[in-house]
Amino acid sequence: MNVRYLALEARAVMRDIRFLVFTVAMPAVLFLVFDGLFGGQAFADGTQASPALMVSMAGYGAMGAALSTGLTIAAERGSGWLRQLRLTPLSGSGYLTAKTTLSMLVALPSVLLVSTLGATVGGVSLTGSQWLVVTLGLWIAVLPFGVLGVALGQLSTSSNAQAMSGALMSVLGLTGGMWIPAEIVPGWMRHVMQATPSFWLREFGLSAFSPVASRTTGLLVLAGWTLAAGLVAITRFRADVARA
Amino acid sequence: MTNTVVTAGSVVTAPAVRLTGLVKRYGSTVAVGGVDLEIATGEVLALLGPNGAGKSTTIDMMLGLIAPDAGQARLFGRSPREAVVAGQVGAMLQTGALRDGLTVGETVAEIAALHRQPGRVPEVLAETGLTELAKRKCAKLSGGERQRVRFAIALISRPELIVLDEPTAGMDVEARREFWASMRAYSDTGRTVVFATHYLEEAQSFADRVVLLRQGRVIADGTVAQIRAAASGRTIQAVVPNATLEELRRLPGVDHAEVREDRVTLRCGDSDTALRTLLDRYRDAHDVEVTAAGLEDAFITLTESDPEENR
Repeated sequence: MNVRYLALEARAVMRDIRFLVFTVAMPAVLFLVFDGLFGGQAFADGTQASPALMVSMAGYGAMGAALSTGLTIAAERGSGWLRQLRLTPLSGSGYLTAKTTLSMLVALPSVLLVSTLGATVGGVSLTGSQWLVVTLGLWIAVLPFGVLGVALGQLSTSSNAQAMSGALMSVLGLTGGMWIPAEIVPGWMRHVMQATPSFWLREFGLSAFSPVASRTTGLLVLAGWTLAAGLVAITRFRADVARA
Repeated sequence: MTNTVVTAGSVVTAPAVRLTGLVKRYGSTVAVGGVDLEIATGEVLALLGPNGAGKSTTIDMMLGLIAPDAGQARLFGRSPREAVVAGQVGAMLQTGALRDGLTVGETVAEIAALHRQPGRVPEVLAETGLTELAKRKCAKLSGGERQRVRFAIALISRPELIVLDEPTAGMDVEARREFWASMRAYSDTGRTVVFATHYLEEAQSFADRVVLLRQGRVIADGTVAQIRAAASGRTIQAVVPNATLEELRRLPGVDHAEVREDRVTLRCGDSDTALRTLLDRYRDAHDVEVTAAGLEDAFITLTESDPEENR
């Protein structure tokens, strides 16, 4: 792993105003708004709304950040920068690993920011181990989205990547129960939601404090998505390199 | 360095580039139809040819960016990828665009990081005159400045071989002159330079050796002087009153003659003999000019006649 390369890449993302506003700041602001409106309530199953909203928005932001790597990959392919990278010692697997790691790195600020807001002004009170699950645990559970972002970068072109990731984010946000809590939707819709990785990302976060949320199924589904997205990313990357 | 291969117990220095029977097809189109080329260390070679001649495809195979359908490319006796990993090769690709969001300094630093030579950044920026522009975003660079950044990227690993695909495309005259000055400084250190161009004057002024490509094949290979000579010789122009076309055609050394008013144009295989005879026979001939055919003439002559046209 080339740490210096990774650090330079991460710095470039973190400096991008659009990234900071839409991916990091927006979910944090939404958390404060929703928390102010519904923070004192609880769902029928006993889950407290405040920490649930915190998990939803931290997860949404982290997911968006992880997927955004796909945009830069599509741009690098389109502009010929990837060809330039192939004239360095960086290998193909090194590139894919670096981009996945980058996705994870840039997902971290959303988790940290929303959690910090939850703990300070959001009135969320959890035990130490519960905090560990909703921060570190949630962050690790973002991995399938990091890989999905890399796959998206291979599947899209520099001109349609923005639209594709925007659509994907809306679908994943809705079906993941991040916009409309999965606890209040009809049963059939909850079944649809359970096929998406975003549902299980949220569920994993909720498992820290919710009396009903399960962890094992979620981890299996998330691992399955990671594997599937990884296969797509690798296959498409190889085909792309062979065609270049 | 380790540019040596051991053959039958003796150590032989491998050429910088050795292409053997390289073929690349796209569907039914043959982009490169069997190119053999050996480039010695320290040579400055121009790959010259019209658009679609197969220059970029040849370069991509040389660099290991695309796999040939047949034949192989070796750089310094090893595979292109091995040479790239060893930092022996730098390249400016035609489509090697830069990332708009990165500054010049960051762009160069990323490539330096990947070559594990982060300390080279200030040096290379200075060598390419980019120190002042280090903090500027690539999106805000002029065409010539962008090319300089790409040149800087190519120089990071101190490559022994530098490959340039149409390096001056999009540069103005001044930028082009500056670019070639820095390229010359680089090649003067004994390194090998291969560049593709369709600017004849660039091949003429900067290359020791010119390889003409047409329809994916090498149709001529030699020094600029050799290629010129092979294609056409010299041209004599003069005002010769009362000369007939028939007489002029029969002058020794003349291959082809034209007369317009009193002005004659003689294309000569042996211009010295032709000129001596001309001045001897036509005492009132005046305003004589002898010109060597430019590479352009050679280029046109060579690329016009297609030996395989009747296939």
